[in-house]
Amino acid sequence: MKDLLSRYHPRYVRSLVYMMQASEYRVRDFLRWFWRVRDFLHVEQRKELFMTSKSLLCLAVGYGFLFILYALAIAVLVWGIAWWQYPVFLLIILTSPFILVCVVSVFLIIVNFLQQPIEYVIIRQVGQKLAGHRGLKIAIAGSFGKTSMREILKAVLGIGRKVAAPPESYNTPLGISRFVRTLKGDEDVLIFELGEYYPGDVRRLCRLIRPDIGVITGVNEAHLERFKDIERTRKTIFELADFLHEKPLSPCIASEKGGNGMNTGATFGVKVYINGENATARKYTRARDVLYSRAGTGDWRVEDAKTDLNGSSFILRSDSRTIRAHSALLGLHHVGPLAVAADVASRLGLPTGQIEDGIVKTKPFDHRLEPKTNAQGVTILDDSYNGNPDGVRAVIEFLSSLKGARRWYVTPGLVEMGKKKEEVHKEIGRELSRAGIEKVILIRNSVTPFIERGLQEGKYCGEVMWFSKALGAFAALPNFTVKGDVVLLQNDWPDQYA
Amino acid sequence: MKTIAVIFGGRSAEHDVSIITAHIPVMQSLHAAGGFDVWPVYITKVGDWYADKAMNDFAFFKQSNYEDILKRKRKVRFLFDNGLKFIWPGLLESKIKIDIVFPAMHGTYGEDGSLMGLLRMAKVPFVGCDMAASAVAMDKAFTKQVLQAEGVPVVPFVWCTKSDWSTSIFLEKSAKLKYPLFVKPVHLGSSIGITKVKRQSELENAIEVAFHYDNKVLVEEGVENLIEVTLPITGNDEPELASVERPLNKTGFFDFKDKYLSGGKGSGVNSEYSEIPAKIGDELTKQVRELGRKTYKALGCSGIARVDFLIDSATNKIFVNEVNTLPGSLYHHNWRKSGISSVELVIKLVKLAEERFEDEQNLIHTFSSSILQKVGGPKAQ
Repeated sequence: MKDLLSRYHPRYVRSLVYMMQASEYRVRDFLRWFWRVRDFLHVEQRKELFMTSKSLLCLAVGYGFLFILYALAIAVLVWGIAWWQYPVFLLIILTSPFILVCVVSVFLIIVNFLQQPIEYVIIRQVGQKLAGHRGLKIAIAGSFGKTSMREILKAVLGIGRKVAAPPESYNTPLGISRFVRTLKGDEDVLIFELGEYYPGDVRRLCRLIRPDIGVITGVNEAHLERFKDIERTRKTIFELADFLHEKPLSPCIASEKGGNGMNTGATFGVKVYINGENATARKYTRARDVLYSRAGTGDWRVEDAKTDLNGSSFILRSDSRTIRAHSALLGLHHVGPLAVAADVASRLGLPTGQIEDGIVKTKPFDHRLEPKTNAQGVTILDDSYNGNPDGVRAVIEFLSSLKGARRWYVTPGLVEMGKKKEEVHKEIGRELSRAGIEKVILIRNSVTPFIERGLQEGKYCGEVMWFSKALGAFAALPNFTVKGDVVLLQNDWPDQYA
Repeated sequence: MKTIAVIFGGRSAEHDVSIITAHIPVMQSLHAAGGFDVWPVYITKVGDWYADKAMNDFAFFKQSNYEDILKRKRKVRFLFDNGLKFIWPGLLESKIKIDIVFPAMHGTYGEDGSLMGLLRMAKVPFVGCDMAASAVAMDKAFTKQVLQAEGVPVVPFVWCTKSDWSTSIFLEKSAKLKYPLFVKPVHLGSSIGITKVKRQSELENAIEVAFHYDNKVLVEEGVENLIEVTLPITGNDEPELASVERPLNKTGFFDFKDKYLSGGKGSGVNSEYSEIPAKIGDELTKQVRELGRKTYKALGCSGIARVDFLIDSATNKIFVNEVNTLPGSLYHHNWRKSGISSVELVIKLVKLAEERFEDEQNLIHTFSSSILQKVGGPKAQ
């Protein structure tokens, strides 16, 4: 009853607008979320409605329409003379929240439609600007690890070249366009993440950016609910490789930082770097593609790789050069991307010392296996933005390598796993069991019982604790932990799924 | 599921500190542990009692008008009918039985044994020290007298009640003490009303300040080359010790601000102002632990307590300063660094309370006699 009444609360309109904004104004995603929500008073849990002109317009339309609807209901009640005035009044009042959703959805479709010509013009202008840009354009596609790869490339190449990349998760045509408009034109390297939401998205972005080289970080079940099957996900991500293989090899820009883009005439030599640790991606390697993994990439071999809570270190050796790499990034799964960055830097002509300095500058990114040790000596590994099976596997592997500490694994599970939901989550349970993690905290929802089943199948010996809400678990954790404990916060569901 | 009442607030100078302790870590840990129906019981500064689950959330007390909100609620009443029951009287009277009580009160009427006496009468298990230990430990002068008699080293001291206060006589008694001196109200914790006196001219004023807070005042010698350490302890018959902790205070001695207001952002109390374990060397640490255990037993503590020490770093002499039967926030920061989580600590305290209650129930408190029949009868020859 309380949930039902929340639809008649004045905050209901704000909640709808927040949901639209968090769904990036995609009507399909907004409506999916709408049907899942029960309590409309508490949808803003992790974030709040950000006031933009678009959200303010939606608020005005929402409240305005509701006002008209209620005025109509009262008019029927006051001036209606026939027997039907009461049922009609009640009907309008009772159905008003649903009529409102229909109205704002239609409004959103109209706004999105009207925006298209404007967006088309903006994107076209940006495409022209990018086509004339002299910098090396690197595009990153994949189901996971795109932001980490972007940040690694930015840090390593940035030590010797002028590098620019869109902030946060600007990976849609409009987001990228917003970033490109800020470019001065003297950048040596531009790095782009390509967001894949539906088939054709990566191709569209490639046409806009015209990348010189690409990195494919892997293909897995992330967003499977939208793509329906993994082959469709794979094809969408490999639209990047398709684009690059349709054009000739890119020239290698070897200018010094701030120079005028002196072109040596040499080609870059690589079209796409593909994550060799990802079985699905590895199968689709073509000529001029290079695999990367913790064993190395191209001519580079990795030796003596180590990792702990202080970071990772390894030696990169080729026939002619040796790079001693030290990074604050945690986990051996970062060795491959670091090797890619070293290879790109080397091809761009950066000396060994600069590459080493660049690798030293790489550090954990926000909410991606980011370590924080509190005053009580408890290390929190914030991996709340990691919500894909490969990332989870890598992190459990890292956790299992930590000895002498009591380890906690806190998760609400992964979202958008589609029909692979059960399989993926049971495997997480089995991996946790194999890794011997001492404490597992699960958040009650539709997927975590599969993790529990995986734990049982793996004959898990530790303790499993349940919480009804992730925020409740985060709040309770300090009461459970002691000095020396390591707590991994694996994936935090955004409000859309919480 | 056990129904547990956490009692906090009260008519005490440490009212607000008690609200913090009750929430962080007590109620938070009880909720996290699961298996408890937690009833917060708040006693206002004027002595009204309220029990309402809205107070489970610490945010309730961050509202500037929380006292007004409470005034609109029904006060809770008690029934001591073979156990403790809460009653909310009125047309729709409701009643719940309390299985165990977790006192989270500091200072007068809470930590001083008053509440413990009430709970003994109610025949309900309760967490922490019992009435006698609480009453003695609450009085800093009594504590020193008991410890002195048990051979536990304490600094030289004198004491005086407000009714006996006579400047000339007391100053004469104090003249035997070596400056600097500390003047303390004997019943207050959290360092409230304590003044450090460096010369005789400051003494009278310091005593008057202390008498604003209490009817009994203690004057004691300061320790040269001072190192202060503290040791949290839990247990009934077999005390378990946490780590020896050293406050990293700037003002020369623990004051209220150091203890409760200098914690890091979002860290609650006591997180950044101390060194755990204290770097005082193995020998001193060993002696502190031995004295801590002896003090805990000598005062008859049970459940939880914290023993404070003064160390002269030049002579390595150790003095027991005072005993706190409900350490602020249970000193959970220390226990966590000693390998005991807040949940484990709180669960252990509940278990200890139940064990003590069970032992108590096995004692014979009543017996049959014919004395009433004999009243008014012929006197025995």
